Amino acid sequence: MRKVIWLLLCITGLTFSQNKQVLYGFSEIPQALMLNPGGEIKNDWYFGIPLLSHIHTSVGISGSTVYDVFADDGVDFNTKLRNAIYSMRSNDFFSANQQLEIFSGGFAYGTSYNKNKYISFGMYQEFDFITYFPKDYAILAYEGNQNNINRRFNAGHASGSAEVISVLHVGFNKKVNRTFSFGVRGKIYSNILNLTTTKNKGYFVTEYGENNFYNHIFNLDLELRTSGLASLTDDDTDSEAVAKALKKRALFGGDLGLGFDIGFSHKLSKQWTVDGSLLDIGFISHSKDVENYKIAGNYAFEGANPIFPETGSGQTAEEYWSEIEDEFETLFTVDTTANKYITWRPIKLNASLNYAFGEKRSEECNCLKEDVGYLNAVGLQLYAIKRPKQPQMALTAYYYRRLFKGLRAKATYTVDSYSFSNIGFGLSAHIGAVNFYLMADNFLQYKNVYDAQSVSLQLGFNYIFNKNED
Amino acid sequence: MLKQIFKYTIISVIFSFFVGSCTKDVDFDQINDFEIYPVLESSLVHLDEPASRFYIDGYEVAVIQDSVSIDVFNNQFAIDNLIKAELVLEMTNSINRGLDVQVDFFDAANQLRHAFTVSVAPSPNNEEIVSQHTEVFEGNSLIALKQTTKLILTLRTRSGSPINEGTPGRIGLKSKGVFYLKIDNSI
Repeated sequence: MRKVIWLLLCITGLTFSQNKQVLYGFSEIPQALMLNPGGEIKNDWYFGIPLLSHIHTSVGISGSTVYDVFADDGVDFNTKLRNAIYSMRSNDFFSANQQLEIFSGGFAYGTSYNKNKYISFGMYQEFDFITYFPKDYAILAYEGNQNNINRRFNAGHASGSAEVISVLHVGFNKKVNRTFSFGVRGKIYSNILNLTTTKNKGYFVTEYGENNFYNHIFNLDLELRTSGLASLTDDDTDSEAVAKALKKRALFGGDLGLGFDIGFSHKLSKQWTVDGSLLDIGFISHSKDVENYKIAGNYAFEGANPIFPETGSGQTAEEYWSEIEDEFETLFTVDTTANKYITWRPIKLNASLNYAFGEKRSEECNCLKEDVGYLNAVGLQLYAIKRPKQPQMALTAYYYRRLFKGLRAKATYTVDSYSFSNIGFGLSAHIGAVNFYLMADNFLQYKNVYDAQSVSLQLGFNYIFNKNED
Repeated sequence: MLKQIFKYTIISVIFSFFVGSCTKDVDFDQINDFEIYPVLESSLVHLDEPASRFYIDGYEVAVIQDSVSIDVFNNQFAIDNLIKAELVLEMTNSINRGLDVQVDFFDAANQLRHAFTVSVAPSPNNEEIVSQHTEVFEGNSLIALKQTTKLILTLRTRSGSPINEGTPGRIGLKSKGVFYLKIDNSI
């Protein structure tokens, strides 16, 4: 128990939603192309500093926070726990996402006077986790069924998934004309570890009975599917073998999947731009190291009639009891299968409408410099991700500013499932050919990280050769 | 100049945000105080039979008995977490004979650890007479319950007018267990 709580806290503490609203559209940073393969590109070629080019971590919790439960405020812990359990809903969730780019690069090509095509490629590792608050299970564990006669406890409240994958990708971007570009990125996913329990159904209810005080009805259809886990948890597997297996899978020796990203950007006028992308339209097929656990069945129990069992059948009370035991055992016996399964990647949508303003003026002549663009931009961004129970959405308003020759900043205000007060900031510095960027959100909650509903952080180093140094 | 100040202000504000995160006091040791007290209720045994069930092969049977092996009370979870239990028996009698239900609790060594009897009065006009009994298990009786591996149920008719095939009335029994649990951080 303690270990589980510490594990949750560690994830919360070490990592900070999958939404990278500050990075989206930040075209000076090459990794922005990962959020929209059809986005604007401002470099001729680049490579990411290996293992340091994109580090992303995020954690989000809707409903109660760590601080709500663990605050050192003199209030009884169990009172705070109770308040958290009763205030949270079954759609409240805890999610974490982490990405680490192993390597990445890109280059423009085409005719020497018009390099309008761009290839980008790379490999990254991703961890993604979501679990919903199993409200009815929590209430049943907390109260028992005594005060909940006739209440249907929904077995579907148990829902979650976890995956660790590595992704190899190649993207193509083409600037069709002055106003329109599009892009597509192909991805090969390699499964390292997957746990999925998202299609649970059924209920448990205690009703007033006819023959006895109560009739207990179990209707269960629960399944946990795992891939890549069974061989690691075998008794005779040592840590060396685990490390070897993980390495092999990370390098595409395990279950594989395919997917793609698409995107575009379109200049409506000199100052207005609209763009959008769909990411991770893809699947992973799990077949090599699959172990699934299933509990399914129906049973209604009103108690037993041991003295007069089955009229005239000659059945003894012992036989009668063992029949009841068998019924329960059949119901709760976990069936283990190795049926292969497919998981769909969490598909993401990004879209934005942008307005640039404030043309850069030359300080010497107070005239407009040619082709340098605008100093400021404002816009609205929409983000959505498909999750097991329902999609999560976020709406962001942003302000972007060029500060110095080599410094760009972006501030965002985001409304999402977690909060209505998410302020984010990001900076991208270009010193010579070296690019460093750092961005994070939910600044208003940094005064107490434990009370934060979500925190995300991205940073990275790149080496960039720009086509128009301004 | 103003522009410069504006730029530097923005940069310093942003950096102060990055370095200025902090935490308020939290105490994770509070997990040691974790305690929940769920109360579970479960139907146990029941019966509903006509008076003629006591008349077998031309003879009246005064005692009907059966035993039940039970391992719910002595599993580790119950031993660790069950802090109180109640057995609630409700008898409904419309037979013109008094009836007793005796419940005996035996441990693995077949030693009698606990027993109780619930009685219901005869019903001369065959109207339903209801008798309810709650047996509470706390302290020593709870320890006895946690060692129980076998229950013997005995249904006994008291003396009175004889029972035959045509004797009117029924005997009914409903029962449930109420289990008070305390679950804490020791799990």
